[in-house]
Amino acid sequence: MLREFQIHQPDTVEAASTLLAEYGLEAAPYAGGTELLLIMKEGLVQYRHLVDLKTIPGLNDLGLEGEALVIGPLATHRQLERSTLLRQHLPVLAELEAGIANARVRAAGTLGGNLCFAEPHSDPATFLMAWGASLVLGSAAGRRELPVEDFFLDVLQTAREPEEILTAVRLPLRPTTVRCSYQRFRLHERPTATVAAVLELQDGVIASARLALGGVSPVPRRASEAEAVLRDQPLDEEVFAAAAAEAGRAADPVSDIYGSAEYKRHLVAVLTRRALEAAVDHPAGEIV
Amino acid sequence: MTEQTVGVGANATRVDAEEKVNGKARFAGDLVLPGMLHGKVLRSPLPHARITRIDTAQAQALTGVVAVLTGQDIQDLSSPRYGHAIKDRPIVAVDVVRFAGEPVAAVAAVDGATADEALGLIEVEYSDLPLVDTLDKALADGAPRLHEVESLQLGLFHGLGGFQPYDNICYYHKIRQADDGLEPAFERAAIVVQGEYTFPAVYQYAMETHTVIAAWEGKSLNVWASCQHPYLVRAELADLFDLRPSQVRVIVPYLGGGFGSKSYTKMEPITAALARKAGRPVRIANRVDESMVTTRRHNMKCRMRTGATAEGRLVAREVMFWLDTGAYADNGPRVVATAADAAPGPYRWEHVWVDGWGVYTNRPPAGSYRAFGAAHLQWIGESQVDEVARRAGLDRLVIREQNLLRPGEQVRPGGKPLDADLVSDVRKLAAALDWGSPKPPGVGRGVSVGLLAAGAHPVSSAVVRLEADGTAALLVSSTEMGQGVRTVLSQLVSQEIALPIDRIRVPGGDTWMTPYDRSTGASRSTTIAGMAAHRAALDVRDQLLHMAGQVWNVSPNHLSLRAAAVWKGEEFLPYPELFKRYFGLAGGEIVGTGRVQPELGEGSYAAGPYFWEVCLGGAEVEVDADTGRVHVRRLVSVADVGQAVNPRLIEAQEMGATLQGLGNALFEEMIFSDGQLLNGTLLDYHIPTTEDMPDAFDSVLAENEDGPGPYGLKGVGEGALAAVPAAIANALADLGIHLTEMPFTPERVWRAMQRDPMNAIPLTPDRRHHKRMNQHGREY
Amino acid sequence: MLRGADERMRIPIRLSVNGQNVETLIEPRELLLDFLRDRLGLLGAKRSCDMQVCGTCTVLVGGVPVSACCTLAYEARDQEITTVEGLGGDGKLHALQRAFVAHAAVQCGFCTPGMLLSIVALLEQNPHPDREELRRYLSGNLCRCTGYWNILEAVEAAMRESEAEAG
Repeated sequence: MLREFQIHQPDTVEAASTLLAEYGLEAAPYAGGTELLLIMKEGLVQYRHLVDLKTIPGLNDLGLEGEALVIGPLATHRQLERSTLLRQHLPVLAELEAGIANARVRAAGTLGGNLCFAEPHSDPATFLMAWGASLVLGSAAGRRELPVEDFFLDVLQTAREPEEILTAVRLPLRPTTVRCSYQRFRLHERPTATVAAVLELQDGVIASARLALGGVSPVPRRASEAEAVLRDQPLDEEVFAAAAAEAGRAADPVSDIYGSAEYKRHLVAVLTRRALEAAVDHPAGEIV
Repeated sequence: MTEQTVGVGANATRVDAEEKVNGKARFAGDLVLPGMLHGKVLRSPLPHARITRIDTAQAQALTGVVAVLTGQDIQDLSSPRYGHAIKDRPIVAVDVVRFAGEPVAAVAAVDGATADEALGLIEVEYSDLPLVDTLDKALADGAPRLHEVESLQLGLFHGLGGFQPYDNICYYHKIRQADDGLEPAFERAAIVVQGEYTFPAVYQYAMETHTVIAAWEGKSLNVWASCQHPYLVRAELADLFDLRPSQVRVIVPYLGGGFGSKSYTKMEPITAALARKAGRPVRIANRVDESMVTTRRHNMKCRMRTGATAEGRLVAREVMFWLDTGAYADNGPRVVATAADAAPGPYRWEHVWVDGWGVYTNRPPAGSYRAFGAAHLQWIGESQVDEVARRAGLDRLVIREQNLLRPGEQVRPGGKPLDADLVSDVRKLAAALDWGSPKPPGVGRGVSVGLLAAGAHPVSSAVVRLEADGTAALLVSSTEMGQGVRTVLSQLVSQEIALPIDRIRVPGGDTWMTPYDRSTGASRSTTIAGMAAHRAALDVRDQLLHMAGQVWNVSPNHLSLRAAAVWKGEEFLPYPELFKRYFGLAGGEIVGTGRVQPELGEGSYAAGPYFWEVCLGGAEVEVDADTGRVHVRRLVSVADVGQAVNPRLIEAQEMGATLQGLGNALFEEMIFSDGQLLNGTLLDYHIPTTEDMPDAFDSVLAENEDGPGPYGLKGVGEGALAAVPAAIANALADLGIHLTEMPFTPERVWRAMQRDPMNAIPLTPDRRHHKRMNQHGREY
Repeated sequence: MLRGADERMRIPIRLSVNGQNVETLIEPRELLLDFLRDRLGLLGAKRSCDMQVCGTCTVLVGGVPVSACCTLAYEARDQEITTVEGLGGDGKLHALQRAFVAHAAVQCGFCTPGMLLSIVALLEQNPHPDREELRRYLSGNLCRCTGYWNILEAVEAAMRESEAEAG
């Protein structure tokens, strides 16, 4: 059950940040509340001050800024699954958003909230890492941008300082030779394992590869060993199999109720192979 | 007069459908009493410990807290332990906690938030006791004992003989048939299949959690409870609180699902005790994670051996199984007995040896779940029959047709002979599955047939009140938990008194008003409560004919009932008109009663069951070789119902049971470690969704009028839960994937595909427990 | 500024529930589910899993389905809320409710209000989902009794009926 708290309604990022700084550990940023309210109800955390970010205008916009697609942190999963702009530029991400949890969670839950909560089984984090997205954090002191890799520190822990809020998710637009895919294996409410692959092709050869693994470690991670196997190689079954095996080896999962470490490593290899095979058929910039 | 009477065989619309779709249907959590307090329960975090100190002073002092209950508050009761089979359960822990989740205290406050806050202010100190959290540990020589079993009394409704618990064994059951020939038979047998199997605990997950309101009126106790068996709960509450049963009133609104999870007594005693201390009505509503440690299905280890001739004739079956009943017995003994009944399967054997034990462990208590016993054993026995078929070179349907019992043959010594035409049912299944047709590559097909002892103790009564306005009330204490009992019983009544069912109202169970029914479960309501309702309706019918006979001055034999009127040739009197003529005013009433009871002195477990419920199903599956995920293409369930009162509601029950069976087979599993439930929320325990549905499902009805109910009907609704997982197991075996541990998760299937098929573990005849039985000189 | 436990800060809110205007004070911590059930007596929305998985607490906020058990009443301010009691009108059932009744899509009834509202919301956005889309969307609403077949049939029947009316 929820203990008592106040709700504050800032109208700028700076005002929100000031409130968070003022109340310190007693305050939390509040957007969709899909994870926050749950842990508050269970008594795992107690906050006497919720800073409602939804009263800050402009934080749920999607738009193109130069060479990047910029997504506001308060864009809900529902908004993203329906966004024509997103479907035009990154249909794989729109599809991913459509598959998160259920329609009610998608209606309230935000991309920013999902990323900042840093649940290890989070879907978007894996894809954003493979894509090479960056996150903009804002406070009364200003803004800073960091790559997704540097954002996730541990289970439920990110690089966001308590007085910062996420203000933008930036996805660089990539050439049409880029292919991507997102694969996941789900038996429970949250997926057991997720793999995202982003390949840049040149003349039938993999010019560069970015692979991210999610759900099988405290934070999503790049499978750099597997990426190395793919670089400068042709689109080839054996190449894919070798990269998949490497990704499985590199994953360092723990045995838990989702499955044994051995099985999760195997799943990573399977999902990697499938992601690579599917990526070939999925131009990043075409409406699927 | 143009309304149609809706009787037996009609797909009548549910009488409760409208209020369930418009949000007006009331469940226990929707009811409010004046002055009602909100109750919350403090539960032990430890699975086995002594309570060394409990301090509730701070909690009591919190504004808005009216009462805090601990074990001290029940010391005035002469018998503060309950349990319908074994009275081993204290209302709230007194000195020892035996499972993680056991209630240690309870708070009643003006609102839930205050009660919740008060829980955090109760100080409890524990000192660990040795952990006995698994079957192996509980059965080990010298294992610490959970209970001082010598001091335990059998409960009011044990019903299985005078077995006295010992060590950590709460119950033992055996079946023997020509057992001195068992070993020689196995030695001679050309085909012997043996294995060890593991069956998981699952959570029934009725979507409405256990919810109880208790209110004392002087020395009388009123309870509104989400319970399936109001009369049994009444008896136990009366016993606990030193009352006469008639001083306890149990009222049952709609249940948001039951499936056995709300059978017998669950949260009623603690709610009543808290209300007693508070001096005001109290409602306690479990959260889902609380309900998951209130009841669950028994997990099980089993060893089974099947012997057959080279031609596939089944000869000998030996089974030993251990059911983990958790810290308190609940319905454990009955589950053991029913599982023993299901262990041989519906086959003709020369030799049968079954031993079953119910074992106490430091885990939450296990109780009833749909098709218990049969769900536990059918998949194992049927997998061995399939293996015999493979080794004998026989089609898996042919081996069954050859070995299945025929109607009238003995199922178990002393018990009711088989009352179903299983061979004909199997042929229906084969047709629905298109058994002989070529299978696409990578597709496995399997079937399974079994029996579930159904009916429980057959005592039930009903009253039909026909009123002067031509409407009737059917008073029964069957619980409407979704199965459609109010509708089906209305149809039985409408059949006899020619009244449309929308003129028959069926209020919920209320022990002050609705007459005695033993329970709602064991597939007994349409058959047994239905027979009572049928007899009550016949009584009303007789009275109507008699009254009309007097009014018309003719013999009742010349009269009939049709379309809510009495008819003499072309002349008719609608009931209200008949009443006016007979009673002389627009008033009066006809009351009909009906009752079912066993033969004098009968109704025992040993002579039963009341009928054998048929558990018959088929499956077609495919497996993703990469991940081991099983894809179910098709499921078929055969419902052998004798006579279908409402075919569409039967089909609806079959659909629900089938999907529960699929969930049980493929992914549902409560995972314990050191007595702690690791996946106690719906985030970590997956309930089947629309995406888990099979591609196709067929429900087949068999109506052979061979049941003990009205028109030869018999119960249905559980069989699929035993048959579907068994059929899936056999469909996987058809693909060379042999699993001895359920659920068949992707990981287990994947691992099975990595190793050799059917690497059976030799059965070591562990007769320790038999020796102990002989030492105590008890023969059972 | 911190407040003592017995001084409860309340927020005034205005909202519309099933077409009726409501003006009241709420505590920030008040959950929408409890507000609807305990304050407004709209008992159709139920509590089961209490963590947004099962869907029994589904209500529509501005036509969008939310888990009322995990939504603050605060989020309903200036919104139009629809509960199961607001489906249909003039004492008549909504076409979907009628279809549920006709196709035996109701058993215990506990999931039914949430299920109905979820489907109503879907059909507003997408009047003609095929069975695959329907299954995918409804995978967020649990039912332990029906096995879902009759629910899907009921939805498709309701869709056919509304097409027939329109055509």
